[in-house]
Amino acid sequence: MTAESPDRSAAAAPDLVFSCRGVSVELSHTDGPRRVLDDISLDLSRGEFLTIVGPSGTGKTTLIRLLAGLTRSTRGTVDVNNRPIDGPPEDVIIVFQDYSHALLQWRTVARNVALGLEGRLPRGEIKARVDEALRLVRLSAHAGDHPWQLSGGMQQRVQIARALAVRPAVLLMDEPFAALDAMTKAALQDELLRLRDETRSSVVFVTHDIEEAVYLGDRVAVITGAPGRIERIVEVDLPKPRDQIVTRQLPRFLELRYLLHHAIGQTEHA
Amino acid sequence: MHEREGILTRVNWPGLATIALGLAVWEIALRAGLAQYQNLPAPSAIARGLVEIAGSGQLYADALHTLWSVVVGWAMAVTTGVVLGLLLGASTTLRRYCLASIEVLRPMPGIAFAPVALLLFGFSLEMELMVIILPALWPVLVNTMGAVTGVHARLFEIGQTFRLSRAETLGKIILPAAFPGILVGARLSMTLALVLAVVAEMVGNPSGLGYAVVREQQAMRPDLVFAYVVVIGALGVILNAALTSAVALPTASGRLREAT
Repeated sequence: MTAESPDRSAAAAPDLVFSCRGVSVELSHTDGPRRVLDDISLDLSRGEFLTIVGPSGTGKTTLIRLLAGLTRSTRGTVDVNNRPIDGPPEDVIIVFQDYSHALLQWRTVARNVALGLEGRLPRGEIKARVDEALRLVRLSAHAGDHPWQLSGGMQQRVQIARALAVRPAVLLMDEPFAALDAMTKAALQDELLRLRDETRSSVVFVTHDIEEAVYLGDRVAVITGAPGRIERIVEVDLPKPRDQIVTRQLPRFLELRYLLHHAIGQTEHA
Repeated sequence: MHEREGILTRVNWPGLATIALGLAVWEIALRAGLAQYQNLPAPSAIARGLVEIAGSGQLYADALHTLWSVVVGWAMAVTTGVVLGLLLGASTTLRRYCLASIEVLRPMPGIAFAPVALLLFGFSLEMELMVIILPALWPVLVNTMGAVTGVHARLFEIGQTFRLSRAETLGKIILPAAFPGILVGARLSMTLALVLAVVAEMVGNPSGLGYAVVREQQAMRPDLVFAYVVVIGALGVILNAALTSAVALPTASGRLREAT
């Protein structure tokens, strides 16, 4: 990696966790490289909850994997804490949609949550952190269970607890609730907002559910097309704390929902 | 009390009855003169033979030698197989270079190397171990390699996001995820190791149960030949049961079932 250019570090704001400038990503396929993301420019401020919404096949997952350091950009720059990203950044943890593959099935819930702490903290500290993380996701009673003994929603909470246990500055979430039923999903949405308030982490949350994007986000980035581009970024000026019934009935919520539907639909028919 | 009931209900009574029936038919056929072979002993004669070799103390020395060879040879085969399997599973490049050789070597009947081993090491334990290790290596190697390549890509990404070192990824993710596959290889290898040890003792290293079978055959004692064959069979059952229960211990919660 070359040293960062002086103009870029001068321009970078100190409270930006992530900063993407003109990022394109090409992934190799059997029929040669295919461009998945095109000219993405996007920032994440400290403490912000950014949701990324768009139809499937628009590179949402690639974008969040880019931030997680699991995929490299072909063009443009991705900075994390004002330095060019080089592999998975410290204090940035990604939570995947497929919890059954992401959890270590041979470990208990508590030992899964301890994964990121082992060998880095003293035993007592690890136990305290694990207990705290499990309390946050309300799974203290299941510390000794194995993942396969839990429901899908509980397993996803284990994955979230495992991420929270390392006290990450940024939580990257790739459609974490997509595989869950509506009631579990709503409960976890509120839990996530509460956790964000308690831990002060920044969150990037990818979803294809427009209502979820508005309900959770401080800002919503709409990504459309193939290759995916940022179609629009919308500030969500809804009051906090959000409420599953009250918030979703606010005229402003419906307005934002319409706006985003329109932003997505426009390019689909273009 | 409860424990004993558990064991009694776990015994496969119909299965044992079949075996008893087979032995009874064998015994009766010989006694009634329905089958006439000069050197085929009746089950009762084999049982007396068992008592005889158990009484002379020769049995324990022979069994101990074979057991030792099997365990040492198997342990070396498993260690080598797991290490090579992990390397091959982890490296696409290594697989590209080595897979062809493996596919050529693996189906070769390992016992064909026995004369080579005999030339190299003479009538010795080293010869016996070589005959055991080479063929017993493959099931472990191939199953470990398959298990490692089968570890879900997501698990490696979990290792990356938590910034685990290579050693941590190996110890905390790859090995436990591949464990069920490694185990399948280890069990196949154990069965193979016993067969190979007995053959090596028959043709090469003059000790152990395999040699005892040949020795008693040359002494024209078919009852003792069969008695030793029974002992070899029992050793196989015991080794397999020991391995199974050793594995069942840490996985009593049933995690193996779900780990794949």
